Amino acid sequence: MFEIGRLCLKIAGRDAGLKCIVIDKLNDNYVLIDGQTRRRKCNVKHLEPLDKVLKVKKGLGHEDVVKELKKEGIEVKEKTKRIKKAKKTEEAKTEEKPEPKKEIPEKQERPELKKEKPAAKPKEEAKKAEAKPKKTVVKKAKAKPKAKKTTAKAKTTKK
Amino acid sequence: MPAGKHKSRSMRRVYTKLPGSKVVIHYKKRKPSKTECAVCGAPLHGVPRERPYKMQNMAKTKKRPSRPYGGFLCSKCMRAKLKEKNV
Repeated sequence: MFEIGRLCLKIAGRDAGLKCIVIDKLNDNYVLIDGQTRRRKCNVKHLEPLDKVLKVKKGLGHEDVVKELKKEGIEVKEKTKRIKKAKKTEEAKTEEKPEPKKEIPEKQERPELKKEKPAAKPKEEAKKAEAKPKKTVVKKAKAKPKAKKTTAKAKTTKK
Repeated sequence: MPAGKHKSRSMRRVYTKLPGSKVVIHYKKRKPSKTECAVCGAPLHGVPRERPYKMQNMAKTKKRPSRPYGGFLCSKCMRAKLKEKNV
């Protein structure tokens, strides 16, 4: 039943619900599987045989298994490799160490700049703040009496 | 004598031994019922039976088995369901 190349469904463990191929027969009860699942030995009780048997050599490599499954319309999602991430972190650590030394002299210069900037900003803002309300007040003051006059004139004309 | 509010057995009694070898009763809220399989009703393994405040602090991996339908179906019903889907 579980000959080499048999398409199977894994029905136990965290890989349950994923499809795989039998690559090797280790024992009466155990086979080596690969595909959507991890490449591992597996108890026959944890596999459900499907209809198809692929023509596959004994002990086929993972990349070839992926190609064979693609022909059957089964896509294998590959996980990101951990080794690359570890290298990045090491590089990042080595790059980060010299940086803080350079930043320290920059920080000493910054406070002088910061003192100047806040002093300049409030004056400009204050000027803008003063300028804006005056215009609005004038407009409102002018607008209201006009409206009253027009109403007054209208009343006089009616009379 | 227990206080009036503790006479009903709605709270569970926990006997604790104090440092002075005195045994005292502590009243605690009862644990929730066991989780069951949604199909066959069998009690589920790997799902802790604790009050929500303890479940909140547990890791997700400690609260249910890490397989499809883990913590919802028992392993037998899960296998049957997967076979229905794929075979």
